[in-house]
Amino acid sequence: MSVRIRVNGVEKTLDVDPEMPLLWALRDVLGLTGTKYGCGQALCGACAVHLDGQVVRACVTPVRRADGHSVTTIEGLAPDGSHPLQRAWVELGVPQCGFCQAGQIMTAAALLKAKPKPSDDEIDQSMAGNLCRCGAYPRIRAAIRKAAGMPEGER
Amino acid sequence: MSQDVVRVTRRSFLVGLNLSLAGLALGLPALADEPSGRAGPGPRAAAPEDGPGLHPNPFVHVAPDGMVTIVCHRSEMGQGVRSSIPVLIADELGADMARVVVRQADGDKKYGDQNTDGSSSIRKFYDDLRYVGATARTMLVAAAAAKWKVKPETCEARGNAVVHPPTKRSLGFGELAEAAAKLPVPNRENVKLRPRSELLRVNSPSLPLLDGPAYVTGQAVYGADVKLPDMLIAVIARPPVVGGKVARYDASRALKIPGVKRVVEMPAAQRPYGFQPWGGIAVLAENTWAAMRGRAALDITWDPGDNVVYDSSTYREKLLASVREPGTPYRNVGDVDAAFAKAARVVEAEYTVPHLAQMPMEPPVAIARFAGGRCEVWAPTQHPQAARAQVAKTLGIGEDAVAVHVTLLGGGFGRKSKADFSAEAAFLAREAGVPVRVQWTREDDIHHCYYNAVNAQRIRAGLDANGKVIAWHHRTAFPPIGSIFTETDKPGLNDLQQGVLDLALDVPNVRAEGCKADAHVRIGWYRSVYNIFHAFGIGSLIDEIAHARGADPRDVWLEIIGPPRTMSLQDLGIEKLANYGEKLEKHPVDAGRLRRVIERVTASANWSGRKKDGRGYGLAAHRSFVTYTAVVLAVVPDERNKVRVDEAWICMDAGSVVNQDRARAQMEGSVVMGISNAFLGGITMKGGATEQSNFRDARIARIGEVPRKIHVDLVPSDGPPCGVGEPGVPPVGPALANAVFALTGKRIREVPILRGLFA
Amino acid sequence: MHQRLLPFAVAFVFAGCGGPTADGPKGPTALRKVAPNELRAPSDFTSIADTRERSRALFLEASRVITHPRCVNCHPNGDIPHQGMNMQLHDPPAVRGPENHGVVGMECTSCHQDKNQELARVPGAPHWALAPISMAWVGKSPRDICEQIKDPKRNGGKTLAQIVEHNAHDELVGWGWHPGADREPVPGTQEQFGAIVAAWAESGAECPAEGARP
Repeated sequence: MSVRIRVNGVEKTLDVDPEMPLLWALRDVLGLTGTKYGCGQALCGACAVHLDGQVVRACVTPVRRADGHSVTTIEGLAPDGSHPLQRAWVELGVPQCGFCQAGQIMTAAALLKAKPKPSDDEIDQSMAGNLCRCGAYPRIRAAIRKAAGMPEGER
Repeated sequence: MSQDVVRVTRRSFLVGLNLSLAGLALGLPALADEPSGRAGPGPRAAAPEDGPGLHPNPFVHVAPDGMVTIVCHRSEMGQGVRSSIPVLIADELGADMARVVVRQADGDKKYGDQNTDGSSSIRKFYDDLRYVGATARTMLVAAAAAKWKVKPETCEARGNAVVHPPTKRSLGFGELAEAAAKLPVPNRENVKLRPRSELLRVNSPSLPLLDGPAYVTGQAVYGADVKLPDMLIAVIARPPVVGGKVARYDASRALKIPGVKRVVEMPAAQRPYGFQPWGGIAVLAENTWAAMRGRAALDITWDPGDNVVYDSSTYREKLLASVREPGTPYRNVGDVDAAFAKAARVVEAEYTVPHLAQMPMEPPVAIARFAGGRCEVWAPTQHPQAARAQVAKTLGIGEDAVAVHVTLLGGGFGRKSKADFSAEAAFLAREAGVPVRVQWTREDDIHHCYYNAVNAQRIRAGLDANGKVIAWHHRTAFPPIGSIFTETDKPGLNDLQQGVLDLALDVPNVRAEGCKADAHVRIGWYRSVYNIFHAFGIGSLIDEIAHARGADPRDVWLEIIGPPRTMSLQDLGIEKLANYGEKLEKHPVDAGRLRRVIERVTASANWSGRKKDGRGYGLAAHRSFVTYTAVVLAVVPDERNKVRVDEAWICMDAGSVVNQDRARAQMEGSVVMGISNAFLGGITMKGGATEQSNFRDARIARIGEVPRKIHVDLVPSDGPPCGVGEPGVPPVGPALANAVFALTGKRIREVPILRGLFA
Repeated sequence: MHQRLLPFAVAFVFAGCGGPTADGPKGPTALRKVAPNELRAPSDFTSIADTRERSRALFLEASRVITHPRCVNCHPNGDIPHQGMNMQLHDPPAVRGPENHGVVGMECTSCHQDKNQELARVPGAPHWALAPISMAWVGKSPRDICEQIKDPKRNGGKTLAQIVEHNAHDELVGWGWHPGADREPVPGTQEQFGAIVAAWAESGAECPAEGARP
């Protein structure tokens, strides 16, 4: 089956199994490897991307669901890597191994779009699906607050 | 080829981030000769050091254009080594970081030990790496001095140039490189290290994160991001029980799945298992999804082998029985039996900690290409030399016919020191005749792990009438890591070094024994290893002693550790101490340093005011990797988990620190991982197979389950560098158990604590 | 998103009520014995002569489905869905959100698809979301649930006929019989369940006594 997706603003036509998770379509077929495989069961959030602006776990989203829709990955979050979250992430040294951070940033980007000044509880709720084994959570919170123009908070 | 793509991305990214030039250069992500996930590597680009310029050792190259290439020989797995080692070398050299390019080393013995494990990258290489930079500097200075006909001592190297202050002359490193290259490489004794004050960036509070920009834009290249032409993806069904084999299998359904190309039976692993591939059936497909579906469609009958008897609940009883009997004594001071006989009171307890799995966010993965009798591997490996050796062994070829390229690691924590996944890829690439990526799923990672050892301890303390501890008797049983290499069924002297033998005790009668424990799964390193459970047992018992005495745990910790002093082998009552490979003269067992971290952390946490804020406070401290760490946790009631860590304080004395910010990040991460270990952790076996399968049942802490505030205190020090990556973890578990006790009155002696709270 | 959510409100309105009470004159023993995974047919209840009694018995039969963890888990009485036969709190920690479909970044449909994802074990059905708090079932008795289901103020403004239709044909309701992976399905089939609910409605949609259990 042929699936048409607007990926990071570019129309793509993919001839793939419609049940193939979007993750593998992005990584194996389109070569967009910024989106990561961490669990394959929607438990860790490493594969979080935006589907028409909504956060979805690409590892469990059949590519057919994206047919005719728009997908944004970490590569397309900002054309030059200058999203306030990306800047805050670098400035505060959030990443340790960095592997989960694409998913963290994509979720945080959706959060800030919906709630420009999120409370700590709102951060916890929205970021609850994104695991970080290195334990960068305190800095993730601080960077979200910084990107939102709020005091980073003690960490 | 992919080089240009990367460069464009870098440039535009840098513009976007509006960073300073220095920041930019340090922020360069994947290097030109590293493989690209987007296009795939073509023929390997020539390394800068193959070109003209100064190249006095495998680590440094100064090109005629002044660009300095620094090789990072240790793997980057989140500890920030790529943001640390090059800074140390560059500072010694006098290089301008804006003109430094960092290149990741392949696996090669010419770099020395590359096993990125044991919190050793700075600890073991601090001086060597400084000499690496200082050697190049000495040669550049000599070249300039010769040109100017002045004494080398009158010249200085700084800002990527050699200057002669009396005459205000200056020559760039690039201008000197070729002349310097003609000079003989000086011996170490003829190279002078800079005084510490001249290391300009080392220990500055905020060094840039080398790969930061790449991490946040999706440009960083991890294992699975490497793509080779015609590559197939393999997903392997491995024996669920260690030592099991394929009895028979039917691949016909798997082969019908569109995209599935081949099914290959892997060679069964032989004892001792070491780093061999695990055996099983591999499904090779055009894409990962087809390979995963293909594996699910395999019909396999397993012969489970002897370990089918392994059951974690009965094994726990077996370990407890083991520590109720005498083991092999490794530490003896005074007369423990006599002391207990006259003790006014005995406090004793048994503690158990289950297997733990590393579960790095990036599951194991490796890519291999086999052609013309040579094998090339790309892998997120902590130990590229071991990968090289195991690949050679598996393929029956020489190590010189194997190249191992190290990608970024999406976490390691010890799992990726093992070469099993690299060898699987190599085997399949040869079988398939095309490049192969072996992709482990999360379930594979959890089922086929080199687990942290399962443990039971029995610790007894004899108190005199005043409550002072006069006898300490510690028994520990766990299957050691050595069991993957040789037949062994009990921990030895070198295993007990981790927390048991190097524990500073001001106790006149001490005995520590290692007790029998046979291995039924592969045991491996996991961040801080045996220290996890030893710190849990010791740190819990000291708190129990304090409670039994009605005393402040802090005071009891300090009393049991005793006055500031360094302890000899005789003081410790041991024959020898492995001491993480360090000489005791350089890194003694220092009771003063252990005291100091306790004093500092309790001061930061306002320990003496703790009873007033309604939270439960727990304290623990531990020496590991020759570093001293103390932790205070404050816990509060929680709706979901009954208890939640609300705030954490961690104080570490790791000697000299190169990269403060990364060291702090390691401490923050250690608190989080320590909470995951003690509160949620636990891998269990039934019928020899792992019961957990994914983050649903092998849980790790989520953002709402960790303290919002983690206060890190690094003890200022000019001492020799100690470990940083691991020593933060061990005291967290006992601090948590102690805090839970303070809040709830419930003493939980078995990990995971969460289960105890609901029991 | 919001449009997608509306059908959901419908999706979880069920039906059922009435039936023999454990201590009543016509206890369940009077009914044909069935296995735990089977559902009785309306014809099994014709032996109950009293229409109101029969209606109550039919609801209790329906409540064998309704109070099954598979159904109750997404009818929490708080802000966190449950999961599994032990009804543990949902992990990852999803929350209800302002419109019962989660919060930004953790919407139900961030993970749950229109059908089960077998390799991933993630359950799915169209319009996956939580029942509104007015339709909370966790901790509720069959009688409470019966009253609630019939109450248009709480059930999303549905008539009895709509309730019957919904239970017989809604795809999210139907997920309970096809939960995927190794999950235990609710008893019977959706067709049988629809028939029981229809028979309950036809017999007067009576609610069982407080304390009555299937």
